[in-house]
Amino acid sequence: MTSVKFSVNQLTVYYAIKMGMQNVSMDINDRQITALIGASGCGKSTFLRCLNRMNDLIHVAKVSRCTWDEANKAFVPTADATGAVLMDGDDIYAPTVDAVELRQKVGMVFQKPNPFPKSIYDNVAYGPRIHGLAGTQDELDQIVEESLTKAGLWTEVNDRLKQPGTSLSGGQQQRLCIARAIAAGPEVVLMDEPCSALDPIATGIIEELMGELKKDYTIVIVTHSMSQARRVSDRTSFFHLGELVEMNDTEQLFDNPENDQTKGFISGRFG
Amino acid sequence: MTLSQEALKRRAKRRTAETRFRSYGIIALGIAGAMLLTLFFTVFTTGISAFWRHEALIEFQLTEKRMKIDPTASYSDADYEKLARSAPYNLIVKDAMYALFPDVKKRKHKKHLGKMISYGAEIALRNAVLKGKAHVGDNFKLWVPVSDDLDTFLKGYIDASLPEKKRRVKDNEIEWVHKLQDNKLIRSSFDWGFFTRADSREPEMAGMGGAIKGSFYLLLVTFLLSVPIGVMAAIYLEEFARQNKFTDFIEININNLAAVPSIIFGLLGLAMFLNFLGFPRSAPLVGGMVLSLMTLPTVIIASRNAIAAVPPTLREAAIGLGASPMQTVLHHVLPVALPGILTGTILGLARALGETAPLIMIGMVAFIASVPDSIVDPSSALPVQIFLWVDSPERAFVAKSNAAIMVMLGFLLVMNGTAAYLRHRAEER
Amino acid sequence: MFVLAGIIVALAVASYFLAFRRAGHWGETQGLKHLPRFHGNFVVTWVLLASLIGWAVATASFIWVRKKPESLDPALIDMLLADQPFYSLALSLIFASFAFLTVWFSTKAGTAVRRWLETTQRRVMLVAAMVAVLTTVGIIASLVFEAYRFFELIPIQDFLFCTQWSPQTAIRSDQVAAAGSFCVAPLLVGTLLISFIALLVAVPLGLYSAIYLSEYASPRIRTWTKPLLEILAGIPTVVYGVFAALIVAPYLRDSGAYFGVSVSSESALAAGLVMGVMIIPFVSSLSDDAIQAVPLSLREGSLGLGSTKSETIKRVVIPAALPGIVGGVLLAASRAIGETMIVVMAAGLTANMTVNPLEAVTTFTVQIVVLLVGDQEFDSAKTLAAFALGIFLFIVTLVLNYFALKIVREFKEQYE
Repeated sequence: MTSVKFSVNQLTVYYAIKMGMQNVSMDINDRQITALIGASGCGKSTFLRCLNRMNDLIHVAKVSRCTWDEANKAFVPTADATGAVLMDGDDIYAPTVDAVELRQKVGMVFQKPNPFPKSIYDNVAYGPRIHGLAGTQDELDQIVEESLTKAGLWTEVNDRLKQPGTSLSGGQQQRLCIARAIAAGPEVVLMDEPCSALDPIATGIIEELMGELKKDYTIVIVTHSMSQARRVSDRTSFFHLGELVEMNDTEQLFDNPENDQTKGFISGRFG
Repeated sequence: MTLSQEALKRRAKRRTAETRFRSYGIIALGIAGAMLLTLFFTVFTTGISAFWRHEALIEFQLTEKRMKIDPTASYSDADYEKLARSAPYNLIVKDAMYALFPDVKKRKHKKHLGKMISYGAEIALRNAVLKGKAHVGDNFKLWVPVSDDLDTFLKGYIDASLPEKKRRVKDNEIEWVHKLQDNKLIRSSFDWGFFTRADSREPEMAGMGGAIKGSFYLLLVTFLLSVPIGVMAAIYLEEFARQNKFTDFIEININNLAAVPSIIFGLLGLAMFLNFLGFPRSAPLVGGMVLSLMTLPTVIIASRNAIAAVPPTLREAAIGLGASPMQTVLHHVLPVALPGILTGTILGLARALGETAPLIMIGMVAFIASVPDSIVDPSSALPVQIFLWVDSPERAFVAKSNAAIMVMLGFLLVMNGTAAYLRHRAEER
Repeated sequence: MFVLAGIIVALAVASYFLAFRRAGHWGETQGLKHLPRFHGNFVVTWVLLASLIGWAVATASFIWVRKKPESLDPALIDMLLADQPFYSLALSLIFASFAFLTVWFSTKAGTAVRRWLETTQRRVMLVAAMVAVLTTVGIIASLVFEAYRFFELIPIQDFLFCTQWSPQTAIRSDQVAAAGSFCVAPLLVGTLLISFIALLVAVPLGLYSAIYLSEYASPRIRTWTKPLLEILAGIPTVVYGVFAALIVAPYLRDSGAYFGVSVSSESALAAGLVMGVMIIPFVSSLSDDAIQAVPLSLREGSLGLGSTKSETIKRVVIPAALPGIVGGVLLAASRAIGETMIVVMAAGLTANMTVNPLEAVTTFTVQIVVLLVGDQEFDSAKTLAAFALGIFLFIVTLVLNYFALKIVREFKEQYE
């Protein structure tokens, strides 16, 4: 039986006065892969970045919950985002929540592989170090090995952990970033188009990896490629012009979309 | 296509105009280059001789009578040192010179004879006695510096064909020194002490050790103050400050400070640090504080540029792992920006090294005959020493000031070279 | 004194380890904001900050003590003044200990110490950014304060409207002219004369260099000649001063004598020429930027109409780049007016009211140096006059810079 990890309610983001995403509500299941699809600028990345409060760092971005204004017949943003995103039932936008601690639990992998200009070992060990997850050097070594193994990279790099992370190939770098993210001990891993900068073989390896990882982590992935969403995800949500159009089990959504816009998008008529 | 006579003429005219215009640029650059070459050439030719000095081998008789020390008596160490320190070495030097030229009888001529040797001889002699290399009763041979006039003459800067009254070295002195040269008692040796001795009223004994150490202390204070403050300010403005009126105001301030004449910073140091806060005059501490205020804008602007050039993906990566903004900056942004920050800092320090006017304002222009031991001792600095020596009437000092310029330009070359290397390496990455 | 400094350092180190150990005992059950490292860093930050604050407070108190207030026992004053560093450090130590105890007892298991630490760090950085503002305030305050005292002694109209500058006479109070010889007019004339000569040299040389480098020179020539200008900019002004005083001034005097013209051995011309060479890089680098910012399409438009390259440069590029070039010239002028060492060494000390470049003139900066070198009573009109001149200099350079930067900024925005 699947449980709900994130429960999102009427989430809205404005960039200064420009609307980034409006009135999105959805549930994201624990230990499943949820894919977010849609055309460029549809708000799917914005949504992803709300789940670990990365948008807090953009001064002009304002995350809030919206309400329906009967007079204007429109959704209007409220003053803050209290209650807009619940994680395991806890409000991650509550004033008492430290966004830094939240991001330890909700890790992130980015579009372009971005390893630190440090050794492979230090890349993976960074999270455990700042969060004090390892008491001794042995424990740290163990975490690094486990994370690299989970990311399917251990056998490839175990003899050159001291080499810079930037010396790896693109696909390896991205797996290093995944290893780095899971070494920090998260419950959720957010992936923002993780394969868009990779070749098909590297993409295949990472997709396989995601299948493994969902045993331990909740994964939310933004992807450009509908076939990728179809291959890897359990559930898929389709965004259009900043709004959530449809969300369903992946097979259901692709084979039998309820909405015409969804139908148009997955059949390649626009987007 | 055929062109009329008129058109051909016009075309030729336009072509010459084109060449002429182009040559203006080459001429302008040529003049700038020629100026630079002349400057370097004159500094080099005037200054190079100051690194050598002439020495004479003189035999000194450390007689009991002159030294006023009884070799048979047993003194305590302290007493002996006191006696050895206060012995009349000037008379011993004169005795040695009279003994070298026994024919000289006239008082006036004897006076000339005594002036041939620098008072550095007395110091060398005293040190030899104090260190136990020479003893009372010895006949002690030592290479000692000659006077600055004689040195200048030996270096060929005084024309012996001028009438005697118009030159500082008299006929009899020339005669004597030739005699010494014939006996191989004069040599020219590289003056290592020039880099370690303090300033002196006597050109042949003046060194730039005090100035070099003073400049070192100045740069040390400047570095220790301007780098932490500058880098912290840059981090704040680049990473944490929101764009508003207040940060705009800070930015305008920084830009304006970068253009305030250096002498104004000197006035600030005089009024604030010396008169109001009561810090010691002529000390590298105050000089360094003034210079660091001057260098601060350079460090801040360079650091901001370096920090802004760090790719944002690096920040995202760290933030995404749960690092706080402060950790992100300290662990990831700063190390990557470091070469750029260092380059800017070195360039700022290089400018601070050559800065003279503010130091004059806070009294670092005084004559200081000792090498400073700490940042609160009165001290000179390289550029100020150059300024002081150039103003002196003795020719030897002018040569010394040019030699000091060579040393200072050498330091600047090393600093700027390091900065250029760092920048080059950072660009390669 | 060193013992005290050592104790403060030891306290800082010890407090780190104490806090680290204590937080370690609180165990791993707490969240990440309670890592032992943060406790250690937090306490050590405050210990060091407090000792700095203590030292600053002590230094400020000594300003008061040095005035020998009557409410203090003279013996106590003597004792305090005898060893200022010791007492300052002692106060530092007291502050540091207080900070340690405060932090020690106010942090508990579960305190959000990382957030406190980072807020502290951010505040310290803000203070560092404020140093630039404080410097400006300090400059203005010291200039205005001392100049105000000067204008109490010498009326401002005597300072502005007259023709005689001879501060030396003011020392002898028995003289008739004891108080009436401070007047900026000759200095202003001298400063402007020298700056004008300098610009006369620097503007054509700098501008033509920039044009050649940005429009004609091949990349190879550019890489070899650009450093030439950078070296010109990097040479300390005292070296230019030596050059002016030892080489250029005697040369001008001698060649003047050859042609039967009397040239003073310290002439405005010598100082101006060398200063001109010094400020070439200011003109050339900003002109270079401005010329390169002119869009290619403008050039192509002109070349496409059959203009030659030089015609394009003269009629299209330079007019388009003019604001940037003017900005560079203004900056160079501000440098020339504020430059000190060249004029001190080559321009002369006597205040002649003349525009003849072959005579010696004096400038603001020279007189500031002359007035303040040597041991003077700080309260004399002579010394204070330097600050009145300083205000003049500060305002003039500030205004020039303001307009220069404004022009350049607006020019850049135009092509962005």
